Amino acid sequence: MPTPEPTPQRDWSDRSLELSRLLARAGLGDRAAFATLYERSSAHLLGVVLRIQRDRAQAEDILQEVYVNVWRAAKSFDAAQSQPLTWLTSIARNRAIDSLRRKQTQPLMQTNFSQPDNEDSDVYDTVADDAPGPLDLLSRASDARALASCMQVLSAQQRQSVALAFFDGLSHAEVAANMRQPLGTVKSWVRRALLTLKGCLESAAQRDTGTAGR
Amino acid sequence: MDYSRPELADRLAAEYVSGLLRGPARRRLETLLPAHPALRGAVRAWQDRLLPLTAVVEPQTPSPEVWKRIEARVHGTAAAAAAAPAIVPAGWWRQLALWRGISAFAGVAALTLGAMLANPGPAQPPVIVVLSATAPDPGGAGAVAGAVMPASFVASISGDGRAVVTRPLANFVLRTDRALELWAAAGTGAPRSLGLISAGGATVVKKTMLPAGTDHLAVSLEPAGGSPTGAPSGPVLYVGKLTL
Repeated sequence: MPTPEPTPQRDWSDRSLELSRLLARAGLGDRAAFATLYERSSAHLLGVVLRIQRDRAQAEDILQEVYVNVWRAAKSFDAAQSQPLTWLTSIARNRAIDSLRRKQTQPLMQTNFSQPDNEDSDVYDTVADDAPGPLDLLSRASDARALASCMQVLSAQQRQSVALAFFDGLSHAEVAANMRQPLGTVKSWVRRALLTLKGCLESAAQRDTGTAGR
Repeated sequence: MDYSRPELADRLAAEYVSGLLRGPARRRLETLLPAHPALRGAVRAWQDRLLPLTAVVEPQTPSPEVWKRIEARVHGTAAAAAAAPAIVPAGWWRQLALWRGISAFAGVAALTLGAMLANPGPAQPPVIVVLSATAPDPGGAGAVAGAVMPASFVASISGDGRAVVTRPLANFVLRTDRALELWAAAGTGAPRSLGLISAGGATVVKKTMLPAGTDHLAVSLEPAGGSPTGAPSGPVLYVGKLTL
């Protein structure tokens, strides 16, 4: 039996279970269910959007668009294919990333990264304010056992590049500028990091027979 | 590009989901998704892998205006106004007496297969309730609903009272601006909504618990989205009595 310790993945599945039901009812046109769905998921989605689109008014506009779409598409949501929280988060992230493309704005950075010649300085010390930087988030997410071991396989730079891209929505070029590295180098870090993560998570999933595949 | 090549599909999907694919390349991939199952599968797999990472992002409560704007857009402004404090028509549920009369008159077939809902024991068999049409001529009610209505609905209540499954004896199609709402009534108290149910098949209604003392179930015809008031606002089409 796998240990029942709370992990982001497990928590994700638990929350998804309830959202699945609400989404199904919203798909039937149930307004109360839709309102509850909003209540249970909007703060998470706004948090995700705000990391990418830092302008709060714009982020809330995005959130509005997301839920209008969700109401219209709820009927087509297929719980057998994806978890609702994953589905909702992907819609919100896509909107947020699209808004960056339109405005060409650079998100405000909260974290400065060490120079290559200054490898030993601790990136966690340079977090500017209370809000967690992308690396903090990654280390928190790593509390999940599978991810934790997979993150260990990544180099520090790979971790940084993935965290900047994933959480803060930076493009390859922006990650490169932020880490003061050539674009090609950053691209290959990210690519190798994602592939490593994939291989690692897949073998972890195979070991953990207790969890369903998708 | 040949998007059916697995490595390419996988790389593009990874960049798409991690947010690195931008501009025209992002648009192109989104356009291709519906037609490329392999690509779609790869995107889904990467979403499953990466998006749970966002569970650690600190939630941010949106301002109340956001929900108001959403409601106004999806339900129309009138609905947004009605969604404010729900005004229950005074004494609406007094009509319950009428329901009872009707249901007795219509000879509601209520089969009791379990014990009291209010006192659920372990592993009790479900309670089956037949909800009969309130109008003597279902065609009359059908005129209201814009459909030919079946004579009755069947509701099956799990032994512990936590789930209700409803099913029309014959599936039918409602007008798109109409919905069916299921209600539980206990004694002379106000009926409580159990949610919308489908006219075209089985609906599983999960509730933490049916209200204690529930003795009637009813189905009302409501505007799409359900009753705006929190109490049945349209005609009650079906009603069934729980025999305890």
